[in-house]
Amino acid sequence: MKPARFDYAAPGGLDEAAALLAATPDAKLIAGGQTLGPMLNLRLVQPALLVDITRIPDLIAVDEDDAWISYGACVTHAAIEDGRVPDVTNGILPRIARGIAYRAVRTRGTIGGSLAHADPAADWLTALTALGAEVTAYDGRSERRIAVRDLMTGVFETALGSDEILTAVHVPRLSGEARLGYYKICRKTGEFADAIGAVLRDPERRLVRGVAGATEAAPIVLDDLSGPDGTSVLDAHALRQDLRTHGLTEAYALQVHAVALERALAEALA
Amino acid sequence: MRTIALTVNARPVTADVEPRLHLADFLRERLLLTGTHIGCEHGICGACTVVIDGEIARSCITYAVQCDGAEITTIEGFTEDPLMARLRAAFTVDHALQCGFCTPGMIIAARDLIRRKGSLDRQQIRQEMSGNLCRCTGYMGVVAAIGRVMAEAGDRPALPPATSTIGPAPGPGAVPAPQERRDAVGRAPAESAGERLRPDSQALLDDISEEGLITLADSFAVPHPPDRVWDVLSDLQTVAGCLPGARLTAQDGDRIAGEMRLKLGPMSPRFAGEGRIRRDDGTRRARIVGQARNGASASRARARIDYALVDSGDGGTRVEVEIGYALTGTLAQFSRGAIAIDLVRRLTATFATNLEAAIAGDADLRREEQEPQPLDAAGLLGAVVRARIEAWLRTLFGRGG
Repeated sequence: MKPARFDYAAPGGLDEAAALLAATPDAKLIAGGQTLGPMLNLRLVQPALLVDITRIPDLIAVDEDDAWISYGACVTHAAIEDGRVPDVTNGILPRIARGIAYRAVRTRGTIGGSLAHADPAADWLTALTALGAEVTAYDGRSERRIAVRDLMTGVFETALGSDEILTAVHVPRLSGEARLGYYKICRKTGEFADAIGAVLRDPERRLVRGVAGATEAAPIVLDDLSGPDGTSVLDAHALRQDLRTHGLTEAYALQVHAVALERALAEALA
Repeated sequence: MRTIALTVNARPVTADVEPRLHLADFLRERLLLTGTHIGCEHGICGACTVVIDGEIARSCITYAVQCDGAEITTIEGFTEDPLMARLRAAFTVDHALQCGFCTPGMIIAARDLIRRKGSLDRQQIRQEMSGNLCRCTGYMGVVAAIGRVMAEAGDRPALPPATSTIGPAPGPGAVPAPQERRDAVGRAPAESAGERLRPDSQALLDDISEEGLITLADSFAVPHPPDRVWDVLSDLQTVAGCLPGARLTAQDGDRIAGEMRLKLGPMSPRFAGEGRIRRDDGTRRARIVGQARNGASASRARARIDYALVDSGDGGTRVEVEIGYALTGTLAQFSRGAIAIDLVRRLTATFATNLEAAIAGDADLRREEQEPQPLDAAGLLGAVVRARIEAWLRTLFGRGG
């Protein structure tokens, strides 16, 4: 339960971090380390170098404009939970943060680290996909934006290049009427979820978007959960049909994800 | 080695540490503060909970080197703390401990909860304390003791957060220790594969235990006659070449040795092992059984693969495959079942695509001398392969999985 040897660097700036990442084979970024730490201790991951990015001021910056709020990648779940950073989502983000693992994990675990790690059962991946959030990736030369819904390509795999750093998470401002229904099916508080249902309803944008998370792969996005007449929403049968066409046909998986989505939907419409 | 300077229980400490030394070991072994207990050592049990810059944290998955410039408080540092004194008294009255192993972490987490939340009902206390495991009390006494201290405080509001940073402590504001020297870190040599077959290997068993095997079945069509496909499959180097990350290292009659490198996000374990293949030319059926280990993570895998070629009547062949596998050790502990299933599915689907290409002669997949490329979802899953996998998954699910 002791990690294999690794070297360690704690750069003070993004360019230095990007240079270290590009120059060192088997270098790995670490932010809060709440998932990487266990993997290191179990020797599942044996990097040559850990690049600690928590001392980079840019990565705990928070910016707002008319359309977005941008959180530095190293903002912790606890900071969001406590309202120590501004929220533009009518309290949705603090609520999601509160449900992640345990307090002693949330104090170090970060929003950017969670997304970059791409565990299918991670809360942010599902919730931020529903909210239509984006991330910025930086490789030391240029930046690009990636929608969170396009970020995860497989279990623990993302669209990020090996020399890219996820630097910021951008969350769109929601209208006053918008609400998120969110339901997690967990065997124990704080454990990995068996299923996550998230439904964003924004009447102003005529949007009822559902996301089934904690599947075996990337979250399933159902862009339009509104029914044929445009007002009501899909019934239970139609919802299951939709999930089936996205590959969820194993009986238990279909049931547990459909129920999570139905409960999230009911909350979003309440 | 790196030099760190931090404050532990209000006392300044400077030390040289290896980067891999976690904070709990640093506190216990170097500072002899053995009140911080180590239970699971991978962030699950909460026994090692300490306070870093005002926030509770797991010291077993925080490395000492990350705490350069931080203020740490361990259970030994709360002697004068009035809230902790009330908690200690309540833990005694309500029998909130038996063996006491979880208590240092439990009581530090409880103090933090009371400071942040003021007063909560019992259900909320249970939820909030669920990150600290106790194997003696059934939590009844723990919940009662925390409830008692909350009730004594009355309606006193929660205290403001004890920290100023919004990132993991200590953050950019902390002053790191000056580095006097930096040794290069040597890397452990890569685990070598079993190049020679051991005559008395356990893998020579005709079959492996079926116990706990997860099985997956698939079939795919190849537009070539069964004789031709069977020929290609008889060359095990080609078969290994079709499996991403796999390499055949030795073959002696029906006995084989090989290695396989997987890639799963930051993990890239290399499994080395041995097995046996039995082929029946008459029925065109074959079975491969084997077992392998990954020394670095003390994980073991065993698997059997059955495949059969069926004449599809139109000049083509249907290849029917059933895979049974079991994984034990830390890799299995860490990976939930669904993740392993996802990986095996991706491997099978890629194997099918590569085999089709090998039979069609599109690609020379014999790679005896080359380093095999591991399965890497990001790099491998081009549009064509992805479509193939998605189609295959639909087929699989369509059968009711």
